[in-house]
Amino acid sequence: MSTAVATRTVLEVEGIDAFYGTIQALRGVSIEVHEGEVVTLIGANGAGKSSTLRAINGVLHPRRGKIRFEGEDITRADPHDIVKRGIAQSPEGRRLFPRMTVVENLEMGAFQRKDKAEIREDMDRVFELFPRLQERRDQKAGTMSGGEQQMCAIGRAMMARPKLLLLDEPSLGLAPIFVERIFEIVEQINKQGVSILLVEQNALMALDAADRGYVLETGRVVLADDAKALMGNEQVRKTYLGED
Amino acid sequence: MATQASTSIPRLRALKRPNAAVPIAVLLLGLILFWLGENLVRTPADFYQNFVYGATNGLLYGLIAIGYSLVYGILELINFAHGDVFMLGSMMATTFVGVTILGLTAGSAWYVLWPGIIAALLISMAFCGTLNASIERVAYRRLRTAPRLAPLITAIGMSFILQNVGLVWKGPRPISTVDILPHGAIFTIGGVAYTWSEFFVVAVTLPTLALLVWLVQRTRHGKAMRATAQDREAAAMMGIDVDRTISFTFLLAGALAGVAGTVFALYNTNTSFLTGFRTGLIAFTAAVLGGIGNLPGAVLGAMLIGLLEGFSDGLAWHALGSQWTEAVIFAILIIILVLRPEGLLGERTPEGG
Repeated sequence: MSTAVATRTVLEVEGIDAFYGTIQALRGVSIEVHEGEVVTLIGANGAGKSSTLRAINGVLHPRRGKIRFEGEDITRADPHDIVKRGIAQSPEGRRLFPRMTVVENLEMGAFQRKDKAEIREDMDRVFELFPRLQERRDQKAGTMSGGEQQMCAIGRAMMARPKLLLLDEPSLGLAPIFVERIFEIVEQINKQGVSILLVEQNALMALDAADRGYVLETGRVVLADDAKALMGNEQVRKTYLGED
Repeated sequence: MATQASTSIPRLRALKRPNAAVPIAVLLLGLILFWLGENLVRTPADFYQNFVYGATNGLLYGLIAIGYSLVYGILELINFAHGDVFMLGSMMATTFVGVTILGLTAGSAWYVLWPGIIAALLISMAFCGTLNASIERVAYRRLRTAPRLAPLITAIGMSFILQNVGLVWKGPRPISTVDILPHGAIFTIGGVAYTWSEFFVVAVTLPTLALLVWLVQRTRHGKAMRATAQDREAAAMMGIDVDRTISFTFLLAGALAGVAGTVFALYNTNTSFLTGFRTGLIAFTAAVLGGIGNLPGAVLGAMLIGLLEGFSDGLAWHALGSQWTEAVIFAILIIILVLRPEGLLGERTPEGG
């Protein structure tokens, strides 16, 4: 894994405030993702991790602040436009289309693309990463197990051929064996040149996989550092890694 | 443990409810079958005639019911204006084939008649599709995040507005459409002729339904519709333009109403500004009977209601007669809502799975 000083900045989030109705979810959140990096957001429930991803994805428009992707302002862009620019998300709770088959779900991931032959290639690649999905290709996504659904959700996001992949709680509710498999895959995807912004409750796994990390508390970034440094940080160890 | 307990309770209830309904349903169904059988034996000609009449109308109701189901599937909104879009489609067709524009008559040569009918279908489809999509754009889109009641009341308001448009356009009295469909018999069962005009309804409706299934199941737009219906936000995250997909759904539902309007006008040879209200409600009942949001369900429900209407209107032995038909249809709506609110084939599976 690289230290990312010299590389290009892919994503810049600059002091965004976001609200659900009158409730403020984000207070001046600023984060950066450089090319080829794995960056993680850690924090407790309701700290604003998912809201940050939703803002980047255009589902939750921030009231203040700026979001730039590859130098271009995407703060007010529509979600479908943002996907087209190269940001894909595997959302919290997976959010597969339950009554569509695995193949159809993967096709939906590639919705913005027109290159049929390459879409087929990418689907084969997803099946290579997740042989389990190949076996269930014609099964309705809603009838699969949690782990299989998570694979499908990550695969679906991969189908967009993103430059930046947003992963929201990929390990939530999965058996330990699946969690490890998912993190292996995240690493593999990153090696193919995709930058990754990873939101996790499982801070230990996340920091282990990441280059850098941000710690969020009640909608604010309270700490930002290299992943290794964060793992050594006493406060982080106490609060998020469960040490006394 | 806690989660297990909480899931097992609704499951028990789900098992219990049909148990209470089953004997009543079986008894009712038995009585209806007995009544139909007795009629078939006593007056076969009446039975066949009303079967043909009911099945033909059922197909038409199906086209309209699917419009309710498509929109409900994607927005969870009952588009009460849909029946009136259908009504305006029937008026459009009447104007187009009649003296006002084409001046077709029963005596027109086939090479004038059929292209004229096809043109009427296409124009009515385009008109109703655009109208329905515009209604969504103007009246429903801004209310998408509002409480459910707001778009529902708006839909009822749109229905009245369109009714009045029909009233202003064609006046209060029923208008007649030129009778241009051939009435010759294709074949005869039990002394009852199955005519070309009845076949016309089938010949238009079935391919339209097949095209719709293909469109929803196989095409990019269709898949986007299904994805949006299943999870709107996730669809947006996948790069689907949700607004455009919803517009497309209204366009499609409207186009189906246009087909139904044209076929209705040509087959029944008359229409009025009130047609949409009545037919729309019946088609809506059909959609609920089959399971609102469920496309095959809408067609099944519509066929059942069409047949019921035919039999109740016209059978000789112990039929209630046409003055009771609507009471029967809406009694069915109430019975379904009480006993099986999800409908015969289940709710909200636009892809029919």
